[in-house]
Amino acid sequence: MRIGVCIKQVPDTDAHPRIADSGDHIDDDDLSWVISSCDLCALEEALLLVEAVEEEEGGIDRPELVVFSLGPARVEEALRKALALGVDRAVHLEDAAFRGGDAMADGRALAAAVDREGCDLVLAGAQSDDLGQAATPAVIAGTLGRPYAWLVIAVELDAASRSVRAVRELEGGMNEVLRLELPAVLAVQAGINKPRFASLRGTLQARRKPLEKVDCAMLGVEPGQVGKAGARIETMAVRVPPTGGGGLRIAGDAAEAAAELLAHLEREALL
Amino acid sequence: MSRQEPLVWIVENVGSGPGSRETLVCAQLLGSDPRLARLDEDRLGPYSPGVFAKALGALIASGSRERKSRSTVVLLPHTYQVAEFAPRLALLLGAAYIPSISGVHRDGEGGLRFRRSILQARLEAEVRPRARTIVATVQSGAFSSDETPAPPRQVVEVCLPADMEPRPEREILGREAASAGGVDLAGAERIVTAGRGVGGADQVSVAADLAAALDAELGASRPVVDNGWLPREHQVGSSGHLVAPKLYVALGVSGSIQHLMGMSGSRVIVAVNTDPEAPIFSLAHYGIVGDLHDVAPALTGLLNERAGR
Ligand SMILES: Cc1cc2nc3c(=O)[nH]c(=O)nc-3n(C[C@H](O)[C@H](O)[C@H](O)COP(=O)(O)OP(=O)(O)OC[C@H]3O[C@@H](n4cnc5c(N)ncnc54)[C@H](O)[C@@H]3O)c2cc1C
Repeated sequence: MRIGVCIKQVPDTDAHPRIADSGDHIDDDDLSWVISSCDLCALEEALLLVEAVEEEEGGIDRPELVVFSLGPARVEEALRKALALGVDRAVHLEDAAFRGGDAMADGRALAAAVDREGCDLVLAGAQSDDLGQAATPAVIAGTLGRPYAWLVIAVELDAASRSVRAVRELEGGMNEVLRLELPAVLAVQAGINKPRFASLRGTLQARRKPLEKVDCAMLGVEPGQVGKAGARIETMAVRVPPTGGGGLRIAGDAAEAAAELLAHLEREALL
Repeated sequence: MSRQEPLVWIVENVGSGPGSRETLVCAQLLGSDPRLARLDEDRLGPYSPGVFAKALGALIASGSRERKSRSTVVLLPHTYQVAEFAPRLALLLGAAYIPSISGVHRDGEGGLRFRRSILQARLEAEVRPRARTIVATVQSGAFSSDETPAPPRQVVEVCLPADMEPRPEREILGREAASAGGVDLAGAERIVTAGRGVGGADQVSVAADLAAALDAELGASRPVVDNGWLPREHQVGSSGHLVAPKLYVALGVSGSIQHLMGMSGSRVIVAVNTDPEAPIFSLAHYGIVGDLHDVAPALTGLLNERAGR
């Protein structure tokens, strides 16, 4: 049994991104990069699944855990972090041909990579903190023709019947309970668990764990199918959305602003 | 429009919530005479992403073959179900996938440009499709019109293609209610909500104190709940409570679309946020740019003084 987790490295959303002079992307300089938050939950869930098997069967059929990420050299840091958390090995999809891809292009490349490793279960985050398209895991599933569920908030692995039980969020306060046969792809929603922090020991061990770099040729994908060439969308401009339309901005220090706000609320008979 | 209009489909998911009106308003910005494709479980069997994507994909592909020279735009409401199967639909059609659009226009050459939020609504992007077929999902609340748009003249029921196995790729074991709670948010007259900006479980009390002083219920954004700072029953938003109190005070809430879906109907909205560009301010009736750890205690102090507490 092998579990794959696909992670994306994204700009830290607490930092204020600067728009590049060209106006069509975010300035990469002085950004700090982190693992997208749902993807961290996917990693944690995979670690929990492995630990559950270890407890049950004395670690005999312990699934192997492989992490995948597509991106430039900086992505190695995210992969090392995953290794430090307890993942067994890492696959870095790094090729100039991967640059400028959209979810379709990146999903195809990642599908080839998880297929090459023979992953029985693939986990990924439900949507990334940067583009939030919620599409890459669906493309991986679609490309490989595997069962898929999005917005998963609980997973149980049943190795004996080669299936997973997954709970998926619906609108309106309902959940749906599903059974999917392996191999399958699950996109997990934030809140499914509380991601752990890496220990010092884990961080030291991570340096010696295998991290393989793979390119188009190794994955057997056509360069025209990935990256900018394979992308079906192109970002023409990014901008700060107009914040107009709001009501009254109350200025002053905290005490003044608080007093003024209360006067308004009083006038509106809200107190 | 002088250029050839695209063939526009709007997709309605029978029994799966609203959204068709907005997709119709959006469709009319793109071209005239959109076609409506209806997905119905009575016809297709129980929903699964693969089955719905394949059945709809077969219909769209045959429509596009009919009109070789035109591009095709498929518009769907951005519901959870659609967000699950629409990327697969785009993959099958070799289409451009543009999820949760909030606007559309034509560039100088008549090409389509779609607008969508990125980086948790901090920025918006303008996206150009690079394919003849476009699958786009429409963000809730993004398209409105005073006039009720004319219903599509052509309505097509989506069927399973003859060569397709109707076997769903996954089995539905059941449905269950997400954790119910004892917090009466839906009926509350006043709500004070703690966003991620409160900073930690040990600091939620700044919001709770203000809620107590205002005689309000305590709400939370999703990350506050996901991080375990408050129980799930406090959550406001598309995956939490839908609320419409007289007064809604958002402390350290950025104003994501999922949060706004749960509270935008509130009569008076107050936002306190350190970031003057936070999207919540465009909705707030009263906005204070400042640290909630200063402003909220100041409010609590004044209210308690008034009440003689
Ligand atoms: C399918 C789906 C369903 C979802 N459902 C929901 C839902 O039901 N409800 C929900 O809320 N979210 C939901 N989300 C998550 C949503 O996308 C956002 O991530 C979330 O709403 C952000 O919460 P926030 O505003 O508290 O945090 P952030 O976006 O991180 O914003 C924190 C804000 O606090 C401000 N801040 C920081 N420090 C201070 C300070 N000291 N004083 C004042 N301000 C400060 C920051 O400027 C920032 O604007 C859902 C997401 C998905 C994908």
